[in-house]
Amino acid sequence: MKRSKTAALLLMSTAPLLLSACDRSESASREGLYTSVEACVAQTNDSATCKQAFDKAQKDAATTAPRFANREECEAKYGKEQCAERNDGASHSFFGPLMTGFFLSQMLRNGSPMNGFNSAPAFRDSNGGWQQPAPGGAGVYRSGAGTAMVPINATADRAVTTSRSGFGRSGSSRGVGS
Amino acid sequence: MRRIALAERPDWRSKAAECGFGFHTIDDAPYWDESAYYAFSLREIEHDIEAPSEELHAMALDLLDGIVGNEQQLRQLAIPEPYWDWIAQSWRERQPHLYGRLDFAYDGSGPAKLYELNYDTPTSLYEAAFFQWQWLEDQLARGQLPPGSDQFNSIYESLVEAFGTIARGIARPFHFAAVRDSVEDQGTIAYLRDCALQAGIDCGTLAIEDIGVSADGRFTDLDDRVIGCLFKLYPLEDMFRESFGAYLPRSGLQLIEPPWKALLSNKGILPLLWDAHRGHPNLLAAEFDDGSELPRGWVRKPLHSREGANIAMHLVDGRELRTDGPYRDGPCIRQACHPLTAFDGHYPLIGSWIVGDRACGIGIREDRSLITQDSARFVPHAIVEEARGVLVA
Repeated sequence: MKRSKTAALLLMSTAPLLLSACDRSESASREGLYTSVEACVAQTNDSATCKQAFDKAQKDAATTAPRFANREECEAKYGKEQCAERNDGASHSFFGPLMTGFFLSQMLRNGSPMNGFNSAPAFRDSNGGWQQPAPGGAGVYRSGAGTAMVPINATADRAVTTSRSGFGRSGSSRGVGS
Repeated sequence: MRRIALAERPDWRSKAAECGFGFHTIDDAPYWDESAYYAFSLREIEHDIEAPSEELHAMALDLLDGIVGNEQQLRQLAIPEPYWDWIAQSWRERQPHLYGRLDFAYDGSGPAKLYELNYDTPTSLYEAAFFQWQWLEDQLARGQLPPGSDQFNSIYESLVEAFGTIARGIARPFHFAAVRDSVEDQGTIAYLRDCALQAGIDCGTLAIEDIGVSADGRFTDLDDRVIGCLFKLYPLEDMFRESFGAYLPRSGLQLIEPPWKALLSNKGILPLLWDAHRGHPNLLAAEFDDGSELPRGWVRKPLHSREGANIAMHLVDGRELRTDGPYRDGPCIRQACHPLTAFDGHYPLIGSWIVGDRACGIGIREDRSLITQDSARFVPHAIVEEARGVLVA
């Protein structure tokens, strides 16, 4: 079959909502970004999981960190002294940022963590922004050559708005989409 | 590929109203038109449209590594210099993208020919993904289509899957923005937001005119929250020119579609594709326009023209067609003229949807003219296997 099996609408439809399959309490998760095993233990009180998550993240960092041809390019993005030479085991050497933190996420059931965890290395760029490697290309995305990095979400900031309407001059009632 | 007349569903207008399809009629002219449909064979869909769409998509993305470091090409694409590094960075980081639409001339004979890539602000998404799908299900249930008829349309499933895949890479708060007074654009972002919510992503909507900027150059919503990620159904090249554009590169704002889409949603990509893959069966010869007289057999298109505006077409038989529009100044390309084929006096253009990197469906818009404009109507399609073997009378 070349078409979707269903085509549900959530908010656009005036019909009653029939999406009841996902029980929110089952899918809760806990996620943290930690700069050390100690910081992780302080928050989760689970030293075994924190240590394992750190070790796995460090191992993954060697393969998933962004790669640069030389130290200068890497330091331009991640800051002075924040890059190390690595190689891929086949005598190709390159530079990549040092892992500066790690992610730990666990599924929760009734508020308690379940067995198993996901962890991933995190890197801090020279602007202070945290990033992690994007999930591998699969499904609707093909796997690309370089590792994609994605921003790590922090709590939303607020800022006093000084001006509005700086976008939209080209708009019309027929829209601008194509 | 055939155009087949079919009675409308008697209740389609009330269904449209129930499902938030507020733009089936635009400025008193019909836009959704189910008085006919296009029937394709599975082979036509898979061999002639789906496979070439994925191939062309990959070919276009493969050009980007070269373009971001090539000053000459960035100038040919009319990308303003202050945005070069920002665009290049967005590509090096592979900032997530969501969707795009390839427009093809195709009539069931010979290869589909690529007219252009709508890779920044494509619309006609809701009607292709949802309302067209519902039309097929309804007409099957009413016995109006051959049993077993199908449709090339997993756009909805692909959108939800794509949002799920990029969910962790989307900075929060996440807003969908479009021009306030455009019912069509607002309907498109309402549908995209619906799909994002179904993927479990918390998100809101915002008029593009309501976006604010703070003293330190960050973009804000109406609650003065700093916007993390903005899906903007608004052309990147217009944002570049407008007064807030200068803040973009240092604002920290994540965009979907990402900045690197400015290189693809640009008719300048067509000559670059042609140069890299001269003679490819799905490409038309293309070159940058030097402003000289347009010879027979060529079409002139502004780099950023939308909805068939400001197109000049010089047919092989000497006839000349021109459309008006707002894109009078600025660079153009030329493309070999490959006119659409008429079906009962209508000229269908195939929009082939790419979600993530997957070709996942089509929507057909047909116009009375060889140049598809915003007067075009959306006509549904079905995959219908040709009758074979014994005919039972």
